[in-house]
Amino acid sequence: MVRDRSRAVTRPPGARETSGQATRKLTLSLTQRNSLLGYLLVAPVLVCLSLLVVYPFLFAIWISFTDRTVGAEGRFIGLGNYAYLLWQPSFQATIWNTVVLVGVVQTLKLAAGLGVAVLLNQPIRGRRFWRGLVLLPWAMPAFVAFITWKLLYAPQGGAFNLVLLGLGLVDSHVDFLSTKALAMPSVIVATFWRGFPFWVISFLAALQSVPRELYEAAAIDGAGAWQRFHHVTLPSIRHVVLVVLLLSTIWTTNGFENVWLLTQGGPSDATMTFPVLAYLGLQSLRIGEAAAVSVSMLPIFAMLALFVAKLLQEE
Amino acid sequence: MAHADGGLGRPTRWVLALVASCVLCVADPTGEAQAQGVPAALPKAVGTFTYWGGLIFSEEANTMLVQRIKQWGKERGVPVDVVMINQNETVQRVSAAVEAGTMPDALDMGRDLMLLLSRNNRLEPVDDVFDRIGGEHGGWLPSADSATNPKDFGGKRYGVPFGTSGNLLNRRDDLLSAAGAKDPPQTWEELSKLAAAVQRPPKYYGMGFALSNVGDGNLTTSMLQSWGGRIGDDAGKRCTLDSPPTRAFLKWITEAHAAGLFPPGVTTWDGAGDNTAYQSGQAIFIANPGSVYLYLKKNDPELAKSSKYSALPRGPAMRVAPQNPNVRAIPATGKNKQLAKNLLVYLADDKFMADYYNYAIYGPVLNSQKTASVFRESPLHAGLLDLALNGTPPGFPDVANAALAEYETNFLTPKMVQKVVVDKKSIQAAVQETQAACQAIYDKHK
Amino acid sequence: MSPRLSPMRKVVTYGLLGLLALIVLFPIYYMILISLKLPKDIYRTPSLWLQGATLKNYVDLLTTQNFLVNIRNSLVVAGAATIVSVFISCLAAYSLVRLKYRYRSWIGRLILLSYLTPASLLFIPLSVIIARLGLGNTLHGLILIYLTFAAPLSTWLLMGFFRGIPADLEEQAMVDGARRLGALFRIVLPLSAPGLVAVSVFTFTGAWNELLLALIFTTSPDIRTVPVALQYLITGDVFRWGLIMAGAVTAAVPVMVLYYLAQRFMVEGLAAGSVKG
Repeated sequence: MVRDRSRAVTRPPGARETSGQATRKLTLSLTQRNSLLGYLLVAPVLVCLSLLVVYPFLFAIWISFTDRTVGAEGRFIGLGNYAYLLWQPSFQATIWNTVVLVGVVQTLKLAAGLGVAVLLNQPIRGRRFWRGLVLLPWAMPAFVAFITWKLLYAPQGGAFNLVLLGLGLVDSHVDFLSTKALAMPSVIVATFWRGFPFWVISFLAALQSVPRELYEAAAIDGAGAWQRFHHVTLPSIRHVVLVVLLLSTIWTTNGFENVWLLTQGGPSDATMTFPVLAYLGLQSLRIGEAAAVSVSMLPIFAMLALFVAKLLQEE
Repeated sequence: MAHADGGLGRPTRWVLALVASCVLCVADPTGEAQAQGVPAALPKAVGTFTYWGGLIFSEEANTMLVQRIKQWGKERGVPVDVVMINQNETVQRVSAAVEAGTMPDALDMGRDLMLLLSRNNRLEPVDDVFDRIGGEHGGWLPSADSATNPKDFGGKRYGVPFGTSGNLLNRRDDLLSAAGAKDPPQTWEELSKLAAAVQRPPKYYGMGFALSNVGDGNLTTSMLQSWGGRIGDDAGKRCTLDSPPTRAFLKWITEAHAAGLFPPGVTTWDGAGDNTAYQSGQAIFIANPGSVYLYLKKNDPELAKSSKYSALPRGPAMRVAPQNPNVRAIPATGKNKQLAKNLLVYLADDKFMADYYNYAIYGPVLNSQKTASVFRESPLHAGLLDLALNGTPPGFPDVANAALAEYETNFLTPKMVQKVVVDKKSIQAAVQETQAACQAIYDKHK
Repeated sequence: MSPRLSPMRKVVTYGLLGLLALIVLFPIYYMILISLKLPKDIYRTPSLWLQGATLKNYVDLLTTQNFLVNIRNSLVVAGAATIVSVFISCLAAYSLVRLKYRYRSWIGRLILLSYLTPASLLFIPLSVIIARLGLGNTLHGLILIYLTFAAPLSTWLLMGFFRGIPADLEEQAMVDGARRLGALFRIVLPLSAPGLVAVSVFTFTGAWNELLLALIFTTSPDIRTVPVALQYLITGDVFRWGLIMAGAVTAAVPVMVLYYLAQRFMVEGLAAGSVKG
């Protein structure tokens, strides 16, 4: 390392201009040391993932090109599964439903997540109670949440109908899940309820991390409440918003219990989404087909993921 | 990627045949060795003997099965691990176990899973066990025999039946008798007329039959067949759904729906939808294998007294009342196959099965089991006995092959009904679209 | 930010909070209601009010269903998965955000892309791996498996939080003689304490509530986790509503307690002290 003193110093960006031989020694080897440290620190996660995820991921892609059923080696059939799927009217409805479900739910969660987080970041009494409250929908297994919503939506004896009929707002019971026009909105509401705690708590944590000085400086410069929000808050939490958006979108698109427990994809494919279609393929032990359904979602995911990743990794 | 063996090679088949014949030589035809004592020829267990039982609603029945298998283990000096598997997870669990090579030594399953696994050579042939048990218990009932018929499974038997299940018509006798209908309806059309006459919406509706994407929804396939419709041709290769009887059936059921004879929500009911409707007093007729009976007996004696049971009605062309055998099977990758066969014989003991049937909701599969007292004393079980004796084989009148199984796992008949009642498509369009989807499935299995 | 709210803002704020409470709590209230009813009442007399309340479901749950064992198993699995995952993710996230090396962006993308495989597809090849490692039907195996979704999740979330912390603070510390890792532990982590709590909570609840993988990889009743135990209360077409809801309510308690404690000690303890005045 001492020998490198003769080389031109490439200072890593962000390093302070300092004087002294001691510092130069540190700076010279910093790039190399940082690289090594970088790889070392990221190694545990990588090892886990290569073992547990990369192989299954590649396996899934591979079998989607075969006619594999459980227990039998499949033959390579190229795009056969995809052709079969594309042709099915269910598949076309599935693409549309998935886009609608994910799009609307994510928008609702973004708006509500941000709004509620800002609300809870204020000096209110019993803050801890309210922050704990908001975790509740997240604190139970997904299937419990959705069978509860199934009960809430039930046409006869379900809570919502009891309320509506009791208050005289409707004459006869409303069939939330079996009426074609209401099925998707009902699934959307239940999915939103279940998922918005993730957004609120993440945004709240991000808001809490914004240094107070930034607000004070902005106030001194004469910024009003909305301007402070726009110019201090939003940029500071931008990264967290992007990550949460990405992760939550992946989860919601892969979500199975919400549709399966509420409507099983019905009525008449009005709420059929990719994960449910994949599940049906698995029930016939046709894992090649099931894999094809899941893999066909990947290109969109990958593009979204890489886009957000790029935004996040820009300095 | 390394995988477990994709199939049995020829040498392996010969070894298995040899082992099977050895088992037959050693097995005691008089049945003496069956109850007590260890025949010297039984091998020692390799590791712990694992059994996956099918979890059913009746906790008493589940406990009985576990105890019985443990007792067998104690008598044979075999360490035993019994796990009860929930129906909802069987396919996932079995798929994972097959792929990972961690299948148990023996397990319970339904006929469809047995069909799919045997096609991939994942199950051990059990003709010897089947024949022996039949011999010791007065012969198998024709329904049990035909459900595991070797000609449907490539020449061998792969499962040993232990109970049949199927839907019976549950009815609110109190409401119907009050309206003058004391006897059960004999045809579906009679049923819908009764439903229209007796129901009082929104308090209770007549036809509590699921039209959704669940197993219950596939009752519509049986209804369709009773009208004379057929899913496939006699060879089971081509889809023959589009036909005048199919259209006639679709007309009847969609008109019944339009007339408000179905409770709300039937197009998205889950498996428990009809149970809930009946147990809440909101349905007059439902089709149920007996879980409602067990629930009522324990939790709602008043409603239990008002309920009666009968066979599914006929359609214009025939009666289709499917009975499905549940079987015990031995995976091909098991290490204790001889022990497993011994266990299967042990579990067929008459006294044990008679006690078991008291708590479970199965019909008998062997002649010696017909005389168990529960089939006389319990109205539901009398119905199950009738189903075992007179019910139609799975899939009848269609060929119960993999293509039909996939047709059913995709719920194509309920979806066809949904196309008319939800999407408001014409009967013509609905039948044609379903015919196309059905043909696509049959094409995959050519 | 002013320490007190104006009266107008107070009304709006508490009004909105009330609405929030209604939205969140109505389904929870219904769950609790059902957990206090007998099956016959659940079916025959559905209502929004408490009539004929009984604790029988809770008693059954703890005695015949052995639910405490399930809770213990879930605590072990979720706790261990969280601790390991958050630790290795801190390291990885810091590396991906602060340090520069050649394949940095590719590694980041790989971590993210591998997250896209849904569990419904993952479980088959995972079973093969777990069988080879001999970890089937053990809690250790489950913890290892949970790292598959916990690690990418934590890493990416922490990247988001770490990025919001100005790099100057660490540079200053390193000039003052601290090493890189020291900067991580003494500067970055305390400042991102709220983020750490959030990530820990999500990892913990994710593992606590995970069903499919736990269902496939455990067979013995005594190592079942909470979601699996609740799922077993549904046999075929019979839902034992009272028990399921009682179980769900009981199982939510440890999660809420842990979140409360984490908020109290981590956020208000660490972060408050380390924000530069």
